[in-house]
Amino acid sequence: MTTHPSFDIEPQDLLVVLRHPPHGTQWLREGLDVALVAAAFGQRVGLLFQGDGIFALLKDQQAGALGQKGTHSQIAMLEMYDIEALWVSEAALAERGLAREDLMLPTTSLNAEAVAKLLRCHPHTLIF
Amino acid sequence: MVTTTARTLMVEGRPIGLDPEGYLVSLDDWSERVAEALAADDDRELTPAHWEVIEVLRDFYRRYEAAPAMRPLVKAVKQSLGEEKGSSIYLMQLFPESPAKVGARLAGLPKPTNCL
Amino acid sequence: MLLHLLNRSPQSPSVYRDLGEAFGAGDHLLLIEDACYAALPPSSAVLEPFAGRVSVLREDLISRGLAERVSPDIAVVDMNGFLALTETHERCVSWF
Repeated sequence: MTTHPSFDIEPQDLLVVLRHPPHGTQWLREGLDVALVAAAFGQRVGLLFQGDGIFALLKDQQAGALGQKGTHSQIAMLEMYDIEALWVSEAALAERGLAREDLMLPTTSLNAEAVAKLLRCHPHTLIF
Repeated sequence: MVTTTARTLMVEGRPIGLDPEGYLVSLDDWSERVAEALAADDDRELTPAHWEVIEVLRDFYRRYEAAPAMRPLVKAVKQSLGEEKGSSIYLMQLFPESPAKVGARLAGLPKPTNCL
Repeated sequence: MLLHLLNRSPQSPSVYRDLGEAFGAGDHLLLIEDACYAALPPSSAVLEPFAGRVSVLREDLISRGLAERVSPDIAVVDMNGFLALTETHERCVSWF
């Protein structure tokens, strides 16, 4: 996976940063809901997956053992809402021993400097 | 999540529970006869043009476990039925008022959450 | 130039790490609520990535009994100082 230099970042109207993993808490679902609502209203939305938020993109996720909905369907649905600007923290991937092939969707990985630039160049940022 | 039954619709001798907004309480109750009954309840008549959009909606729900808002509905219709039908004007003509909400109700989906 | 607001104690190290990654040159960090605990000398290692660009909110220090225990290299600001920080930075981003 290549680290794209900052001039490749195309700022969206809203950046949603997802830092929490699926299933354990509602944070990830809420962040994705905000992104989907904004996109449904015609806002251009980008997502940054940071820390354990990376796990949201992991392949082969399912509903919980008791049938609790996961977030993988929301992730799969992003393209239907034209949310295609997906950034991942290179460090978060590396710390978790993950590579691009482990993720459900094509993403752009960013080093720390690029992550800071990503936040700076977006007019609105929400952290979940 | 527990949905309360506000009223029931009789379809082929079976009571079908509807929530306060007219959506199916149990999504498993859906059948083509139920869709027709829901449409009749709204004074709508389902034509082949409606049915193919209902099938797109049901397919969307099977894939994503959610009912689409308007924009993704337009996109899904465009992907399945072609450019010409994948437009909000076309869908507004088929399902006046709100294609995402009316369509979801007839297709036996929950109310779309991402559209107000 | 962003003003980052953080309200989690250093017992949640992942939020400090993620914020560290997103922290740009010229950004500033204001510790509020339970993040005040990061301003104590034994905890301030988690603040290394932000050295020299960290403030902590006086009102939240006082309510936690921390007013006299703050690390000397962290600036203490009151509500007016908080307001001034929001005025000198383009935008605020909240981490929790």
